[in-house]
Amino acid sequence: MAGATMTRQFGPGLAARRRAATAWRHVDIALVVSVLTCVSLGLVMIYSSTRTRLAEQGTDPAFYLKRQAAFVVVGVVVMAVTALVDYRVLQNRAPLVYGAMVLALLAVLSPLGVERKGQQASFELAGFQLQPSELAKVGLIVVLAAYGSLHGADLNWERVGVAVGLAAVPVALIYLQPDLGTSLVFLVILLGILLVAGAKGRHLLALLALGVVPVVAVVQLNVLQDYQLDRLTSFLDPQNDTRRAAYNLNQSKTAIGSGGVLGKGLFAGTQTNLSYVPEQHTDFIFTAVGEQLGLVGSGLLLAVYGLLAWRVWRAAALARDLFGSLICVGVLSMFVFQVFENVGMTMGIMPITGIPLPFLSYGGSSTLAAFAAVGLVLNVRMRRFA
Amino acid sequence: MTPPGSRGPAAATHRRAVGRAGPPRRPPSGGPTDAGRASPRRRPPSPPNPRATSRHARLRLACLLVVLILAFSALGVKLALVQAVGSDRYTAFAESQLVHTIDRPANRGSIFDRNERELALTVQQKTIWANPRLVTDPAGQADALAPILGLDAALLRDRLSRDAGFVYLARKVSDPVAAQVKALRQAGVFSYDEPKRFNPSGSLAAPILGDVGLDNNGLGGLEQQFESVLVGKPGQLVVERDRKGNKITGGVRKDVPSERGDDLVLTIDRSLQFEAERALGAQIVATGAKGGMTLIMETATGEILAAANLVASPQAGGPPQPAPSNTAVTDVFEPGSTNKLITITAALEEKLIQPTEVMAVPGQIQVADHLFKEHDPLPAQQSITDIMANSSNVGTIKIGQKLGKDKLDHYLRAFGFGAKTGLDFPGESRGIMLDPAKWSGTSLPTISIGQGVSVTGLQMLAAYNTMANGGQYVAPKLVHATVDSAGQKHLTPPSVRRRVISPETTAAVNTMLTEVVKQGTGKAATIDGYTVAGKTGTARKPIEGGRGYEAGAYFASFAGFVPAEKPAITIIAVLDEPGTSIYGGTSAAPVFAEVARYALRHLRIPPPPQPSVGVMAGGAGGTQWAGGTPPGPRAATVTAPSPTAGRPPSTTP
Repeated sequence: MAGATMTRQFGPGLAARRRAATAWRHVDIALVVSVLTCVSLGLVMIYSSTRTRLAEQGTDPAFYLKRQAAFVVVGVVVMAVTALVDYRVLQNRAPLVYGAMVLALLAVLSPLGVERKGQQASFELAGFQLQPSELAKVGLIVVLAAYGSLHGADLNWERVGVAVGLAAVPVALIYLQPDLGTSLVFLVILLGILLVAGAKGRHLLALLALGVVPVVAVVQLNVLQDYQLDRLTSFLDPQNDTRRAAYNLNQSKTAIGSGGVLGKGLFAGTQTNLSYVPEQHTDFIFTAVGEQLGLVGSGLLLAVYGLLAWRVWRAAALARDLFGSLICVGVLSMFVFQVFENVGMTMGIMPITGIPLPFLSYGGSSTLAAFAAVGLVLNVRMRRFA
Repeated sequence: MTPPGSRGPAAATHRRAVGRAGPPRRPPSGGPTDAGRASPRRRPPSPPNPRATSRHARLRLACLLVVLILAFSALGVKLALVQAVGSDRYTAFAESQLVHTIDRPANRGSIFDRNERELALTVQQKTIWANPRLVTDPAGQADALAPILGLDAALLRDRLSRDAGFVYLARKVSDPVAAQVKALRQAGVFSYDEPKRFNPSGSLAAPILGDVGLDNNGLGGLEQQFESVLVGKPGQLVVERDRKGNKITGGVRKDVPSERGDDLVLTIDRSLQFEAERALGAQIVATGAKGGMTLIMETATGEILAAANLVASPQAGGPPQPAPSNTAVTDVFEPGSTNKLITITAALEEKLIQPTEVMAVPGQIQVADHLFKEHDPLPAQQSITDIMANSSNVGTIKIGQKLGKDKLDHYLRAFGFGAKTGLDFPGESRGIMLDPAKWSGTSLPTISIGQGVSVTGLQMLAAYNTMANGGQYVAPKLVHATVDSAGQKHLTPPSVRRRVISPETTAAVNTMLTEVVKQGTGKAATIDGYTVAGKTGTARKPIEGGRGYEAGAYFASFAGFVPAEKPAITIIAVLDEPGTSIYGGTSAAPVFAEVARYALRHLRIPPPPQPSVGVMAGGAGGTQWAGGTPPGPRAATVTAPSPTAGRPPSTTP
C-alpha cells in the first residue's frame, strides 16, 4: 500500500524504477525455497539412481548429476529473468508466443527433430536435447491466460471454442510425436484456465465429454502403439505381469512399498539403485524417494509440493489482474496435474505416461520449463501492487 | 481457503473495494471495448484493480483449491497404504527378486587306504567360462583360446557369440592352462574354482573307488555307494543381484561355507593293492588273458586288503587297464573245480564219506545223457584227499551223488552263494543259482564240479575264507571307518559271522587243501617257508546268451589261504581266458603265490614256529609241514627293502 501510494505521488519514470525495486521486495520466498528444496532433492535422487549403472558402464557416476546441476543453474537464471520482466508485456505478445510455439512444434516433427525411444520430440543441440513440447506448456499457459483475460469472466460457447482451438493445435502436434502424456498436460492447463476464466459448467462438461470421446475412440480404433496402450491400461490390472508395463508398475510399487516408513537410507535403495525400476531418474524418480527416504521422506516431498501449489494458488488469488491470475492458474494446473499423474502412476492409481515430476525428474527442457513457470508466478505475485 | 484479507489493512481495503465494486469493475476488465488489451502497460496503479478476484473468480479458484487438496490427499492416502500398510509385502517381493542363492559345492571327503594313505582326494581346479555379452571379438578370442584349451576354434566362437550371460568354455582345467588363459586377459572370459577329484595313485584300485562326475557326484564304485557320506553339505552364498543378474560388489548377504564331506577309510592296503595289480597284470600279459582279478582278504575279519580288477589292453602288448567295474563283485563266472571244495566238505560234514576213505574212481561216468570224463588220466583208486588234490571230476561227481541235490544246494548257499555278501557295492551280483526243483538230470554232477552255477570272485573268496576261519563264514568288508569333519573316526561294525562247517571237518579238509599245493594241481602256489592251502579251478565259459560252452574258453582260478596252520590271509586269483595255459594251477596259482608272498612279508606274518603249536587238529597236517619249513629261507624272504627290514621279529621263534 505504501509503495503504491508513493508511486502515485512521484512521476512515472521514477515510479517505474520504484516499482521494479519494490517488486523484488515482494518476491515469494516460500515459493522459491520450496522449489530449491525440490531441485536439491532431485539432484540427490538422480545421482542415487544413476551412479551404480554409470559406474558399471565405466563412465562418470556423476554424469547425470552434473548435467542436471547445470540445468538447475540455467533454470534459476531463467526463473530470475522471467520474474524480472513485467509479465504484462506478454499479454500483447501472446500471438507471437503462440506462433513461435507452433513453429517449434512443427519443426520438431520435421527432419530437424530427432527421434528417441519412438518419439520425435526433441532437437539435438551440442549434446543436449531440447524438447519444445516442455517449453510449449509455459507458452500455452501465457497464450490461454492472455486470451482468457480478454473476456473476463464472460465466456460463451464461441470464446470457449476459440480457447479449445488455440490449445488443440499444439496438442495435436505433440500427439503426433507421439507424446500422449504431454498432450494431457495441455488439456489440463486448458481446463484449469477456462474454469477460472469464467467458463460455465456446461462448457466444462461439454469439454470433458469431448475429451472422453477421443480417448475411447483412440483405444477402440487401435490408433495407439501397443506399448502406449499397455502403459495406459496396465494400472487397471497390475497382476498381469506378462506385460512390460505391468512389470514396470510392479517394480515401481515394490520400490516405494519396500521403503516402508523410514526408508532404506540414501544410496541403500536396492530397487532403484539396481535398475529394477525403469526410467528411474526421469519419469520414475519418485520411486527413488519412496524407497530410500520412506513414507517420511516422500510424505515431506508431497508436503513441499503442497506448499508450492499453495503459494502458486495464493499468487493466483492475489494477482492484480486476470491475466496474472490465469497465468498462475495455468501453472498451478500444470504442476498439480504433473505431480498427481507422476506420483499416482508410480503407485498404480494413474496410468503410466511419460510425464516428468517437476523439479525432481532429470531433464533439461522440463526443468527449464518448470523454472520459467515459477518465474512467471513470482512475477505475477511480486507485481500484485504495481 | 484463506481470504486475502488476512494481509492487513491494504488487503482489507482491496477486499472491500472488490466486494463492493462488483458491477462497476466489469467495464475495465472485460468490457466489449476490450480494455483488457491495454491494461498491462502504462496503467496507472491507482484505479480499482481489475483483479481476478471477482466473487465469481474467487469461487472458481476455491474450486481449484478443493481439487488441489483432493489430489494431494489421494496421493497421501495411497502413499500411506503402500509404504506403511503394504510395506511388508513389497519388502518381501523386493527381497525375493534381489537375493539370489548360489550353491557352493562342498569338497568331497577323501578316500584313504587302511593306513590312511590317500587314494582319492579333492583339489580345486579352474573352470574357464565367459560372458558372451562382454566378449568383444568372438572370432579372435576363440582363435587365441582354442590351442590353449585344446578345443575347436569354431566351437569356441559359437559359444562366445551366444546370446547368454554365461557359457562354459572348459571345466576343471589344469593350473598351467588356467594361467595361460588368464595371461590373455580377454574381455568377458573368466574363471572360478571348482572341486575336482584327484587320485594320487593314478588308476590304482579305480574299479573299487569308482568315478566322480563333472558335477562332483559319485558315478560308480565306492564314490557312488558312499555318495551321501563323501559329498558333504553344500554351502550357500546369498548375494544381491540387480535385474540383469549381475552380482553386486560387496552385496554378500550371507555366506554359509560348505561342509566338507566325511572321509572314508578303506580296508584296502595300498601296497598290497599295488602288488596285486602288478602281479595280476604281469600274468595277464604273460598268459594273453582277456582280464582277471585278484582279491586278498584278512582271514579273521573278512577285510578286503586288495581287490585288483584288470582287463587286457586293447592294444596288443600294452599294459592291462583297470576293469570298467569292480568285476570281483559285479561279474559272475562258473567256478569249476574250486567248487569241488564245497561238494567234498559238505559230504564230509554230513559224514557221508570219511577223510581217509578210498573210492573207486573210473575214468569216466555217465550221468543222464552226459558222459563226464577226467581232464587227465588218474588212478582208479583214490582217497578223498587224492580226489581233492587231483581235482578228480568223476570222484567229486560220485561224492555229489552221495550228497544229493538238496544237500548240495544247501551247502552252496551256506557258503554264501546265491546271495549278496552284504558289501552293498553298487552293481553287486548275487550269483546265479538254480532252484533245485528245476535241476535237470545232469545238474547234480555238473554243479558238483562247479559248472552250471555262477558266482562272483568275492563269493568264492568268502567260501574259502570260511575254511580258513575254521568253518566260520565272515562277511567281506571294504570300508574300515568313516572320519567326520571334526576328525572323529567312526568304525564300521564288524562283519557278521556264522558257522557253516564244524572245526573238525574244516581241519580235515584244510589238510586236503594243503595236499593240493604240495603234490596236486596247485603246486605253483607253493611259497617257501609256508604251507599253503588252496584249490585250483578251470572252468569252461558258457556261451553268452546261448546254451552250452564256448570251445577253448576257460576261467582259470586258484583260491586258498596261508599259512595253512594259522590262516592269516585268504586270496583268490582268477584269469579270464588265459591263452597260453588254461589251467588254474598253471596260470592263476602263480599269481596267488606271488601276491601271497608279498602280503606275508608286507604284513609280517610269520609261519607257525613249531609244528605242534599249529591250529590244525589233524595229525596228517602236522606231519606234512613239520620238516619243510626251516626258518632260514623264510628269514631271507623277510629281508625285503622295507623300513622294518632290520628287525626280523616276526620270524624269530
